[in-house]
Amino acid sequence: MIARFLIYGVGIAAFLAAPHLFAEYHLFQFCLIAATALVVLGLVVVTGLAGQISLAQAAFVGLGGYGPAILATSWGVPLWAAIPLMALGVGAAGFVLGQMTLRISGHYLALATMAFTAIVQLSFIHSDPVTGGAAGMPVPPLRLLGVTLSNGGQLYYVILPTTVLLFVLVRNVLQSRFGRALTAIRQSETAAEAMGLNVLRYKAAAFASSGFLGAIGGALLSLLSTYLDPGQFGITQSVYFLAIAVVGGMTSPLGAVIGSAMFILIPDFLQSFQSYLGLVFALLLLGFIVLRPNGLAAMGPRLVEWVSHRHRVVRR
Amino acid sequence: MLAQVLVSSATAGAVYALIALGFVLIHKGTGVVHFGYGDQVMFGAYLVLIGRVMLGLSFWPATVCALLASALLGALIYGGFMWPLRNASLLARIIASLALGTVLREFVRAYMGPNAWPFPFLLSPTAVPVAGVLLVPANLAIIGVSFGVLGLLFLMFEKTIYGKAIIAACDNQIGAGIVGVRVSYVFLAIWILASVLATLAGILVAPLLTLSPDMGLIGIKGFTAAILGGFSSLTGAVLGGISLGILEALPGTYISSALKDMISYSILILVILIRPQGLMGALMIRKV
Repeated sequence: MIARFLIYGVGIAAFLAAPHLFAEYHLFQFCLIAATALVVLGLVVVTGLAGQISLAQAAFVGLGGYGPAILATSWGVPLWAAIPLMALGVGAAGFVLGQMTLRISGHYLALATMAFTAIVQLSFIHSDPVTGGAAGMPVPPLRLLGVTLSNGGQLYYVILPTTVLLFVLVRNVLQSRFGRALTAIRQSETAAEAMGLNVLRYKAAAFASSGFLGAIGGALLSLLSTYLDPGQFGITQSVYFLAIAVVGGMTSPLGAVIGSAMFILIPDFLQSFQSYLGLVFALLLLGFIVLRPNGLAAMGPRLVEWVSHRHRVVRR
Repeated sequence: MLAQVLVSSATAGAVYALIALGFVLIHKGTGVVHFGYGDQVMFGAYLVLIGRVMLGLSFWPATVCALLASALLGALIYGGFMWPLRNASLLARIIASLALGTVLREFVRAYMGPNAWPFPFLLSPTAVPVAGVLLVPANLAIIGVSFGVLGLLFLMFEKTIYGKAIIAACDNQIGAGIVGVRVSYVFLAIWILASVLATLAGILVAPLLTLSPDMGLIGIKGFTAAILGGFSSLTGAVLGGISLGILEALPGTYISSALKDMISYSILILVILIRPQGLMGALMIRKV
């Protein structure tokens, strides 16, 4: 109990100290990692835990970015209200999409979610009057309690707490009946159904939460980039999020954070090789899925095990 | 007007049929839906371009080199990734095939640049009026080559022992193994054949579309065609390709061209949901 409070205390202290220790650019990077991790967390829930492959994540992210921006510019809804509202809407869309899993799985599900992403992206491009068409649209800055939050240093105080809150929430839900049901469904749908689980409802709920998390993450990403480009919400981007999930580790929420940190920070180290970034990410994905399909998050505990085992052997 | 639309859509349909055939070959034979296949189509066209620009070859030698190189690529994909993953989960295999496509696309983007390249037509692209319908020699060449290749494939599957071995291994791996078919060799042959088909489709389609790293998106059209045809029959794939070409050309001409792609994707979702066995496939019952 004391240890847990100590961890919380250290976490809060680190959160408050970071703005004084790091430059604004680094705070922007932290925000980017946090928002991306939220998007990937959605993928961890639906693909990693429930075992339903989804290439719809970029569409959810796009809807989460466009929705609030349109509500704010055309209807005058404040962003702080529009973002959760839209996320609930996207979650509902995810639930409807999840109903498809009654009839399809595997390859066909991947294809259907892929087509969903393509359709959503095309509708962004072809609804010029509302979305700005292929040129994209600017995102108005977030105003909270009369303060305008525009740069990474200011958004830090909103994005990091939101991410931590949602991660704790998701972690707790996953350790409950819901998480165990998803794991059961991933391992064998037939067995889960025989045990009395309403498999379709759980799968649709997993899709709904991936939609909700993707939309929140997408809204936060759009606040950081301040501009929405429809080219960024296609199938390629869905594969990019999948790559983060695979490299980080698909079966734990921690993997979403590790993968996002890696994919956001690598470009910093490879600045002189900008044109090879895409290739590096693609090779990482290929390498991990063939050699280490459980990702980095699963390598940590195994490393600890291996080291302690070695230790024991030496002592003996 | 209608006749004109049908003639023009046959060009796209023929190419979709070629791509769908590659999907079906790989899926039926090895149980993998190759999500990177569209990118292999794109890569095939770039192989010709690389031969012409980097090695200074003329068109036909470059094409032959590209076909040989893509055969090698197919063998590499099978030996390097699909064979080691043969016992992995379906999810892992789907992601691996997506990753393979992404690697090809990003390789091209890094080495050939993100911009579009011009690509030569096989015949002249100027239209000739025949009986009130405008015919484009270049498009006719595409249709001709596609159907020629399709015919050759049918001959191979129907008349040669190799084709029959492939069909046997597709239908029943264990049974084919018992009667002396080396199933792993057959899989290798399927991957090589499908890669060569992809390159061929790429060479045919590149002048119609713009040759850029994102041309691989045409793969989705191939998926749609394959699903329309049932994803397990070779004849179905050909019919699916041609019907998709017509289905997307009609609203594209009469309603709005922006709708064209959306219609393909909607057909994809609808067919998956309503008739996953395709327009002419038989229903397969999955056993527990």
